[in-house]
Amino acid sequence: METATPSLLELQYAMRASLVVHDDRGISAHVVDAGMSPAERLDVYRSTFASVLTKALRLSYPAVHRLVGAEFFEGAARIFIEAHPPKSACLDDYGEKFADFLSDFEPAASLAYLPEVIRLEWAVNRVLHASDVEPLDPRRLAALAEAVRARVSFVPHPSVSLLRVDHPADLIWRAVLEEDDDALSAIDPGAGPARLLVQRLATGVEVRRMSESAWRISAALFAGRPLAAALDEAPDTEASALLADHLAAGRFIDFSLNETSA
Amino acid sequence: MDSHAAPLRTRDSIPAKAGVGLRFRHHQEVLEARPAAAWFEVHTENYLGGGSAPAYLDAIRRDYPVSLHGTGLSLGSAEGLDPAHLARVRELVERVEPGLVSEHLSFSVAAGNYLADLLPLPLTEEALGIVCRNVAQVQDHLKRRILVENPSTYLQFRHSTIPEWEFLAQVAKRTGCGVLCDVNNIYVSACNHGWRASAYLAALPPEAVGEIHLAGHSLRRLDDARTLLIDDHGSRVAPEVWALYAEALALFGRVPTLIEWDTDVPPMAVLLEEAAHAAALIDEAESGNGHALAA
Repeated sequence: METATPSLLELQYAMRASLVVHDDRGISAHVVDAGMSPAERLDVYRSTFASVLTKALRLSYPAVHRLVGAEFFEGAARIFIEAHPPKSACLDDYGEKFADFLSDFEPAASLAYLPEVIRLEWAVNRVLHASDVEPLDPRRLAALAEAVRARVSFVPHPSVSLLRVDHPADLIWRAVLEEDDDALSAIDPGAGPARLLVQRLATGVEVRRMSESAWRISAALFAGRPLAAALDEAPDTEASALLADHLAAGRFIDFSLNETSA
Repeated sequence: MDSHAAPLRTRDSIPAKAGVGLRFRHHQEVLEARPAAAWFEVHTENYLGGGSAPAYLDAIRRDYPVSLHGTGLSLGSAEGLDPAHLARVRELVERVEPGLVSEHLSFSVAAGNYLADLLPLPLTEEALGIVCRNVAQVQDHLKRRILVENPSTYLQFRHSTIPEWEFLAQVAKRTGCGVLCDVNNIYVSACNHGWRASAYLAALPPEAVGEIHLAGHSLRRLDDARTLLIDDHGSRVAPEVWALYAEALALFGRVPTLIEWDTDVPPMAVLLEEAAHAAALIDEAESGNGHALAA
């Protein structure tokens, strides 16, 4: 059977279809079959594609992997990989959409807290690999007059993340990773929401709970709202102590000045 | 096509000795025990973010020559290089100041998706032009010469017209890049496709060979007693590959040589044993040849 010679671009698109969605129609006619069929040869690459990406997801989502078990995780991962192959060769960046995918994944529907554990693990993963950036020197802020300071918008450090969960996802995550079955069975999955601060420290990633009011101010600051407007989110809070803590912990890298403080 | 006159070696060049591929499990041990490795090579893509991995690399770099070996630039992609990925690689190169930077004669990106493997190219004039264009772009962007490694392959394309060794030699000639000669990959591909491994080695331009890779492979048995060699970097270097390495040293002279091990990574002591074996063969190799790139 004669087949027209494909351009390199056409061939590479056909190889992509073979590896990602197992469609060999565009590629097999171009593969030498001496001793082994094109499908057998392509299987070698397909198998690497699937195993490398499944491993990447497992490394990003270790608690989810333990929660649902290896067999379930790998089955879900294969379907996810086919639908969402990576867009970057840096696999630390791979798997952001896994949370949305598992939220809609029928076999996982019985674990209501699972999507939140996944979101927490993704936040931990992002923070873990975030760029190294010098934190904001608090003296730069102290040098501003108070009226000017009210108009400051902060730029959050990439190694910090804020998260709100409706289930105790942080407790579940910690107990699973520590393989602490007693702690895990003591958790009431229906026990109310939590507000979380996720940050990379020199010793590893810390996930800590915040009060509702501190979280609201922090979320406004991290979203770039002017300082005075962020503080108005929860007027009764010890806002200066909270801001000092953020600055001392290096959770901002820069700031800009707004026209107004609103 | 640009030819890069800039020296292959920069600050703390990689010595013509046997080094070891460094993986995460050995980070801590290397910092604490300072093993007697001549140099280390790491996978570029494992260090592109921030946090502990690049911090370990910074610390190890203070005491050892380091080489950056990439798997994600996709030099063979017809759609061109991903500028964001190239920018991140440059950032790491500027941070680490590695003695060598290398990549592969393969593609791993198509339609914007990373396909998580070093995929074989059809060896055509069109592909040669595209690889040369991409290599030149990388060298321009990084402002240095790179090495390009021969892949291990499990399939060939019907419309290939250029033998792989000629293709690689042409890339080196047209772009001024060096060749990273993976002796295990030559052995694996030669067995899988019926090539003569010795002839492959002899066809490479000795003056362009800037590094050699050695690794283990495995034998996959198919039905009907057919077999396929798989380049899985999961065992010691095979005797046949050591023999081929001795041939390579006779042809290329003393060349920095790396022991790679990526699957079931063994204790550092095992890697150092393999490196010691390579070092002994380097010492035996006729030093009169000199290393072509040292000039």
